Amino acid sequence: MNKVSKALLIVIGLTGLGTAQAGKVSGEMAAQTCAGCHGTHGYIENSAFMPLAGMSEEHFISAMKAFADGSRPGTLMGPIAMAFSDEEIRAMAEYFAQFPKERGGQQ
Amino acid sequence: MTAIERRDFLKLLGASTLAGVSLNGKTAFATAQPHVVVIGGGVGGATFSKYLRLADEGIKVTIIEKNRKYLRPYGSSEVITGHISMDDITITYDALRDKYGVNFIFDEVIGIDFDKQRVRTASGSNINYDKLVVAPGISFDFDAIEGLDQEIADTKIPHAWIPGKQTELMARQLKAVPKGGTIVVAPPPNPYRCPPGPYERAGLLAQWLKEHGNPTAKVLVFDSKNRFTTDVNMLQAWHRLYNFSIPEGARKLYTEEQLATMPDHLEPGMIEWVMGEMGGRVLGVDPDAMVVETEAGKFKADMINIIPPHKAGKLALKTGLADESGWCPVERKTFESTLAKNVHVIGDSSIADDMPKSGYSANSQAKVVALQIKALLAGEEPGTPIWQNTCYALAGNTDYGIFVSDVFRLVDGKIRRMPYQRFLPFDATEIQYKLSAMYQQNWMRAFTEDCFA
Repeated sequence: MNKVSKALLIVIGLTGLGTAQAGKVSGEMAAQTCAGCHGTHGYIENSAFMPLAGMSEEHFISAMKAFADGSRPGTLMGPIAMAFSDEEIRAMAEYFAQFPKERGGQQ
Repeated sequence: MTAIERRDFLKLLGASTLAGVSLNGKTAFATAQPHVVVIGGGVGGATFSKYLRLADEGIKVTIIEKNRKYLRPYGSSEVITGHISMDDITITYDALRDKYGVNFIFDEVIGIDFDKQRVRTASGSNINYDKLVVAPGISFDFDAIEGLDQEIADTKIPHAWIPGKQTELMARQLKAVPKGGTIVVAPPPNPYRCPPGPYERAGLLAQWLKEHGNPTAKVLVFDSKNRFTTDVNMLQAWHRLYNFSIPEGARKLYTEEQLATMPDHLEPGMIEWVMGEMGGRVLGVDPDAMVVETEAGKFKADMINIIPPHKAGKLALKTGLADESGWCPVERKTFESTLAKNVHVIGDSSIADDMPKSGYSANSQAKVVALQIKALLAGEEPGTPIWQNTCYALAGNTDYGIFVSDVFRLVDGKIRRMPYQRFLPFDATEIQYKLSAMYQQNWMRAFTEDCFA
């Protein structure tokens, strides 16, 4: 197999994955629902809301799980966390973790 | 599909994907920059434009908007009581233009040619689009209330459900309410913008009267509905803050535990709620006599705030994007109109099933549609959507906040609410109300930034 067709196969593989997961919500799609309170891309300053940009994946996931199981008290985050699947929470965590903590900063 | 067909199909798929990947989402065949035109610079139109530019700078985005500045409706009842000023709700489009490169045309749309994909404005411009996003908000059905029209609303019986001169008129009227006087607040029937909003307003007005030496004044809420979003939390708050007693007819709607938190007060309260089955529906108004006519009878008042039934924004009605329901039917996954191709209707004007008509809903729909339109322009399949709504409200004073909050998914072609707790529990703690009030105030700024900055 030459290099070109190998590359093609890799791309086809990725596309195939995308098709198989057509019902899945992307990290970006899920994460942007947070921004109405937590800021665009999770950047927020001088606010009561937790900034999410640059939060480590582990931190995000454990916080969402703690809200969902009630071990972390709150107002509306409990029911919101319950409405997302583990897979979606992981995808959101990956999405927010890719941004530097400071707006415009380097990771 | 035979093996050979499949191989050819995969090759094609691979080729198109490669082109997409190598050019960062832009196809090599695009002869011109795609142009997305947005009608309406409110929450939906602004958020959509910002997020589409964030997702793909290669797409040209132009907002056509009548007004050079935006007055945000969410939280605008706080202007009536002087808690905030008109300046606090005034938003410029500077950031959208300067930071995100969104083009603005300040003009009025007078028509859309759906076949030629062209928008016509009052000043005579024709603007071509590849995709059109229509976000015209709401309009009012004044015909449903005898004696009420636009002019009466502007001068005597303001709804102030879109902020502006009517908001200032209500602020002046509030100051003129005599000792022991009466204010009428009449929430609209479903569906309408900002479900907890009219009740929040009733609480804010009562709170203002209480703080300004007029605790014997009354706020009468005339309602065509028997229930409303956040009702348990709101009625509890009225009970605690304004001596409200649950009307007899409403007792069957709540559990014994909920009712036990609201034992009847011996004295009449500052707020009374006349619900639908008690004859609360408003039939008409006599603006000269300042009399409201309801199914339960006629009531004289010193200040009358009737919020008329809603319809889709005027532009949607005028251009035929609404159906006989008065709202705009859309294909839920992309919010593309089922009546016009390449036209997406977002925000209050759209039919979105379980999603309420609210700023947060419009913002959430706008972000989903930004990703979908980006995909459609790149020849890709739109993604699986997910939406959220959160509405914060003050029950009256600035220490008592409540909310409704939901996540929505596409289920069998409709937008469905996920089955989790939506409100504070009826036995919430004082700290939860306080926190909610603090979030409410912070949310105004955070949300405005997400939409406009």
